[in-house]
Amino acid sequence: MSEATDHHGFTADELLAAEYVLGVLAVAERADAAQRMEREPGFARMVSAWEARLSPWAAEIPGEAPSPALWDRIAAALPVQAAPRAGLWQSLAFWRGLTLATGALAAACIGALIYIGSVPQPAPLVAAIDGGGHHHFVATVNASSASIVVAPAAFAADATRVPELWLIPADGKPRPLGLLRADQIVTIKVPRDLMPHATRDAVLAVSLEPQGGSPTGQPTGPVIASGKLTLL
Amino acid sequence: MNIDANRDLIVAALARVPQGDRAALQTVYRLTSAKLFGVALRILGERSESEDVVQEVFVTVWRKAADFDPGRASPLTWLIAITRNRAIDRLRATKPIRKMDPIDEAHDIADSAPMADSALESAQDNARLYHCLDALAADERGALRGAFFDGNTYEELAQRVGVPLATMKSRIRRAMIKLKSCLEP
Repeated sequence: MSEATDHHGFTADELLAAEYVLGVLAVAERADAAQRMEREPGFARMVSAWEARLSPWAAEIPGEAPSPALWDRIAAALPVQAAPRAGLWQSLAFWRGLTLATGALAAACIGALIYIGSVPQPAPLVAAIDGGGHHHFVATVNASSASIVVAPAAFAADATRVPELWLIPADGKPRPLGLLRADQIVTIKVPRDLMPHATRDAVLAVSLEPQGGSPTGQPTGPVIASGKLTLL
Repeated sequence: MNIDANRDLIVAALARVPQGDRAALQTVYRLTSAKLFGVALRILGERSESEDVVQEVFVTVWRKAADFDPGRASPLTWLIAITRNRAIDRLRATKPIRKMDPIDEAHDIADSAPMADSALESAQDNARLYHCLDALAADERGALRGAFFDGNTYEELAQRVGVPLATMKSRIRRAMIKLKSCLEP
């Protein structure tokens, strides 16, 4: 059998996914495959499929107790608080439990002042959109122009996913507002029917979504930050 | 404890981890750490490095538990994949080239499928994989085993078996294609 026919039925991607899971790749090829998993959902699915195919084989490997001290080492190595992630969208308790982070207000004010100079606004609503101990974005609602101006603060861009802004009014149901940028201020026109919901104590949240935004109209990726609208 | 109950316990605990629930992570650890340590130890052959890997795995789970989708993968499959990847990455970083014993193709496979592992896969998945592995040629199966269990590269496998690199590459690729079409006819 020739080399060429060996590939029959396998694309180059499928082959790479199989080789990655099997573990035969050298260091540079492994790094390349791992990067592609982060960037390309289709490739990541091929890898998952190969993991599922081969994993029953691991039943042959006997379990072995690690040192009893290992859990304590792990517990000590954990970051203080895991960032709120996907799954929280399903948790009403999470949304009910959201409280105004007063410390965030200072950042919100600074952010809002940037716009007040350029955009005349009657009593603007602002929100510091925080997660994992950072101010990710600062948002200002301009009622007269029915728009929200969002400035990135400490948000770090993700190579594969884009930040999407959601409005969560009192009913707890997220409404899509638009995509944000890590590198520039974005002005989002708020749909007419949504504007009445952009009130004090409504929540703005940011999730990470595929390029182009959530395909479903609901958040599909992890929620990385959120904040309540409050009067400046 | 039956298999489904164990799997459900892991899934339920994983679901609480994204909210910062350390006790939930510790539950996952209690249910899976022996298996994961065994997997890392098989690849790395060294306890302290394998414990480092298990630590990395649980810190990763702490950060990324929300990425786990119980509808798409079994929890132990997901955890074992993370563990194997960490162990193999460490192996590549610390021991670029290993001299390994030749693969003994006469003893390349257990006579029959072992018991399905608790929470890993159903007995049916287990039996199907072994059926398909048995359908491979002995040299193909031996090469896959060296890669899966010992973390061998193509180069190491070629050296262990004593064949040219190109021969080993086409052997493995042929085996993977056969395996996939057998598992998903």
